[in-house]
Amino acid sequence: MGAVDLSKHFLIVKLKNVSVLSAVFAGSLVLLPSVIIISFFLPDAAPTDYPHRLAGQQLALYGSNEVPACATCHGPEGEGDFRLGIPRLAGLHPEYIKKQLEDFSRNPLKTRVVLEPIARDYVKTPRTYGDLTVFTPGTRNDLDMNDVARRLSEADRHNLAIYFSKLSFMATPTAYDFETLERGEDLALRGKPEYGLPACVSCHGPKGEGFGAVFPPLAGQPLAYLVKQIDQWQTGKRDNDHLSLMKNIAIQLTDGDKINVAAYFSNQSYSVNLEKR
Amino acid sequence: MKPFDIIMFLCVGMVLSGAVSMTFAQELGATLDSLEVRPSLVNPRLSLPTQLTQVHVVSPGEYFSPPLVADIPDDKYGDMVRMGRDIFVSTAKYARRYTGNGLSCSSCHLQEGRKPHSGPLWAAFGMYPMYRHKIRTVVTFEERVQDCFLYSMNGIAPTLDSPEMKALVTYAQWLSKGAPVGVSLPGRGFPEVKRSQDLDPKRGKIVYETHCEICHGVDGKGQKHTNGDGYMFPPLWGRDAYNKGAGMQRIKTLGQFIKGNMPLGASFSLSDQASLDVAMYIWLQDRPRNPKMSWAMDFFFPNMAH
Repeated sequence: MGAVDLSKHFLIVKLKNVSVLSAVFAGSLVLLPSVIIISFFLPDAAPTDYPHRLAGQQLALYGSNEVPACATCHGPEGEGDFRLGIPRLAGLHPEYIKKQLEDFSRNPLKTRVVLEPIARDYVKTPRTYGDLTVFTPGTRNDLDMNDVARRLSEADRHNLAIYFSKLSFMATPTAYDFETLERGEDLALRGKPEYGLPACVSCHGPKGEGFGAVFPPLAGQPLAYLVKQIDQWQTGKRDNDHLSLMKNIAIQLTDGDKINVAAYFSNQSYSVNLEKR
Repeated sequence: MKPFDIIMFLCVGMVLSGAVSMTFAQELGATLDSLEVRPSLVNPRLSLPTQLTQVHVVSPGEYFSPPLVADIPDDKYGDMVRMGRDIFVSTAKYARRYTGNGLSCSSCHLQEGRKPHSGPLWAAFGMYPMYRHKIRTVVTFEERVQDCFLYSMNGIAPTLDSPEMKALVTYAQWLSKGAPVGVSLPGRGFPEVKRSQDLDPKRGKIVYETHCEICHGVDGKGQKHTNGDGYMFPPLWGRDAYNKGAGMQRIKTLGQFIKGNMPLGASFSLSDQASLDVAMYIWLQDRPRNPKMSWAMDFFFPNMAH
């Protein structure tokens, strides 16, 4: 009696096993595709740079023992100060921010080629040796930023770059007189062809919104900041571009050109990262 | 020694020397970053600097100055000029039905067709109709524009009565208002270049990596606009580049263009030899077939001229 019961028991167990296995198999057939399909509609998991972003936020908003908070000058949203000419950082390319911080922390070289702003002497025919031309690794002189950037570690720069690149920003177009804007537009869209001066939009994007990691946005930056940067290219205080391309362009701009073109770009409507919010 | 032994010896020697030069090139490529590289380190020199480049003297008064965009009249003619300018600047958007890739007219004719030494419209318009050696007949300006669409934009030629063609011709005519007819103006076409030694695509590759790669990309595929049609930095080879019938497929023409216009903002900064070297490097890459050439010819003679 006991034996029959046992056999029955075994049979049942075997059946149970088979049924469990088949249920798991069939269930996986149904469930796996559905899970994959559903996962398309679920919100994305936290991206891997989330901790960097948090650390960057901490440093940007509150600073640390050594570094003052970025927000004290650049604003709590990284929007900059348009009256004082402090640049906007929100929505810039992370690689661009990182490179600028590295260049701020680098000591300027003792010897460098200084180009005269606006070479007017057309009689001379300058000659250069292509194999003697040396380009600096990139330096930016600034009273405030040099000191701050030298105290940042490699990780700090990375965190700050990630944090600021994710912030959103919307520019408030500023009104200027018609003549300024017209001249600025002519320079921004067409440059000065007879001088070999390219248009701003040919590298900085068709609306000055910046392009990639190398070409920063011109729209949505304070007018005073743009003018000051061109001044610094001319005097050699800023020298961190590829093959001195921007320096060659800056030394051909007159004071009027700087203001006209900066006014044109601060007159543009511009927003970044707004759809992600 | 038997002749067979000599041949074997030569073969082994060639293979060995090839391997040595390959490893040297790979080492160069591995250690030099395109951003950090100093061109002075690329060619190690023994005694004296040799790459003398005569910097182009900017003499703006030399060139014809076309009218300002702000001075386009507000009438039907002005509308046509504006339409022509739109097509010229973003051809992939306004003449979509005729283009085969994302290039614009202003990808080669820089700064809206105004820049001297980049085939400016104001210097070209007065020279047509002219005899072209390429097709050995006299062509009009419209037929020349058709060739641009067929080869450089790898598309189909717009008919002579199409609104796109009318607008482009009107724009060119407006841009060359005041320019003399039938006179070869300074800045016309591309500047002259002269090679000082044989062209070497290996040197051209180094020039490409140090000077061109930052905009045109590692693979020469260019960079597209983030929000819009067409290319911000045009492709130099690959599916979206100009095809093998284009003028840029001639090494000399491409070298002349590079010498006079590239990199942007530093025209005439490359030496003649460097421009031609990099032109040869670009010429060797793959690109769409010349539509006037059969598939078989393209397969067996991929780099045959026109």
